[in-house]
Amino acid sequence: MLGAFVRAFRTPDLRNKLLFTLFILTIFRLGSVIPAPGINSAAIREQMEAVQAADTSGIYALVNLFSGGALLQLAVFALGIMPYITASIIINLLTVVIPRLETLKKEGQAGQSKITQYTRYLTLALAILQSTSIVAMARTGQLFQGQIPVHTYMPNQDILTLVTIVFVMTAGTGIIMWFGELITERGVGNGMSLLIFTQVIAVFPSSIAGLWEEEETWLFTLICVAGLVLITGVVFMEQAQRRIPVQYAKRMVGRRMYGGSSTYIPLKVNQAGIIPVIFASSLLYLPQLAIGLMGEDSENRVVRFLQDYFVTGTHPVYMATFFFLIVGFAFFYVAITFNPAEVAENMKKYGGFIPGIRPGRPTAEYLDYVLTRLTTPGSLYLGLIALLPMIALGSAGASGGFPFGGTSILIMVGVGLDTVKQIESHLQQRNYEGFLR
Amino acid sequence: MIVGLSIFVMLCSVLLILLVLLHKGKGGGLSDLFGGGVTSSLGGSSVVERNLDRLTIVTALMWIVCVVGLGLLISRGA
Repeated sequence: MLGAFVRAFRTPDLRNKLLFTLFILTIFRLGSVIPAPGINSAAIREQMEAVQAADTSGIYALVNLFSGGALLQLAVFALGIMPYITASIIINLLTVVIPRLETLKKEGQAGQSKITQYTRYLTLALAILQSTSIVAMARTGQLFQGQIPVHTYMPNQDILTLVTIVFVMTAGTGIIMWFGELITERGVGNGMSLLIFTQVIAVFPSSIAGLWEEEETWLFTLICVAGLVLITGVVFMEQAQRRIPVQYAKRMVGRRMYGGSSTYIPLKVNQAGIIPVIFASSLLYLPQLAIGLMGEDSENRVVRFLQDYFVTGTHPVYMATFFFLIVGFAFFYVAITFNPAEVAENMKKYGGFIPGIRPGRPTAEYLDYVLTRLTTPGSLYLGLIALLPMIALGSAGASGGFPFGGTSILIMVGVGLDTVKQIESHLQQRNYEGFLR
Repeated sequence: MIVGLSIFVMLCSVLLILLVLLHKGKGGGLSDLFGGGVTSSLGGSSVVERNLDRLTIVTALMWIVCVVGLGLLISRGA
């Protein structure tokens, strides 16, 4: 394992990519600590320690997790990648509904880049919306649930300062988007997911330390062991796949023989990855946003309803909605990304077949059947893992928060595995070349 | 002083957003977020893109310096 790392740093190409990625991530973290103008984040930190853990319960924990603690410090990069994720989700959902987007998607490369461009516009629009609501909530003190007096962290509240903060946060989101694209383009791994990964990792040590201080030693050990077991389980489930054998017929093209090989189609148990969880959690964040805009004490019935059921993350209604959303999105996303009919068609074209099943429609039906059967436990697993911290929080009343929360573990393992795989493929490319020469 | 710098920061922010939007988006969207296939990035960046990169970096540096400066000014003034 260590040898691979040494080798990775020996190859100049890969080394540059790794260093570039690390560099961008460092700047990104730095920006998550620099406070927006007019914000006294030292005061926030001080007060936060005093009131402790008031903020870690509920939905905020999740949003704050995605922003690596930057949100509650009102940093320059307070919004993190949340707007981009939300925008991608919205565009993704809209491609199913709006015919124009669907035709664009089918157009291939050019259409795809157009869709990406729409996503970027939407990201900035959402960033303006979210930063405005955050600034509004900060000004009323609602962001910290009234625990911290507003004037300590926001000395002057004239309109100019507020508007400047909104501008700065929006521009920050733009920079983050650019960073993500830079990493995808010139670094290792997928930029956006790596940025989320960094933010999740960044809060990790402090939440472990918090746990160490709060809980007794045996409980701390127990939680750590449980976390390790959980990580192992998640790795196991993420890697799990069913291999459907495919046999290719031999054929002659000119004087050369093609095919005749037997391969397989790998179908992962959790084909959708962690996207369903992120979809669901950002959808459930919307009510919170709405309440933030409408004001907490509004007499509106809708607001009251949301306030009752969707603000505390441990309410059964919230948890059930979360669970069903995840399961639904898992099926939805698999349906979007894997098209059995298309795969069957392609296989038929190149003379491939699944042993025992006729090519064409029966193959598509078979693939669909297998995929549905695989996704059922896969989606249930996703939902359960994501719910785990809420259940643990609700039953044990552990106020310090469970650092091995389902979503964060899923993100850590998923992105980690993916990035390592990509580094490895780079390495293989390199060594193979050297071997042949 | 604070007012002037604030307005400058806002202008910088708008400029920065425009510059970022001018870049060709290579994020690829959610489809290759989290465990998609290996995306191959073909070709280097063009001259336009490289100049745009430089311009963005310069603007970003200016922006962050002004943001920090403004933050210091406000906290000292208050």
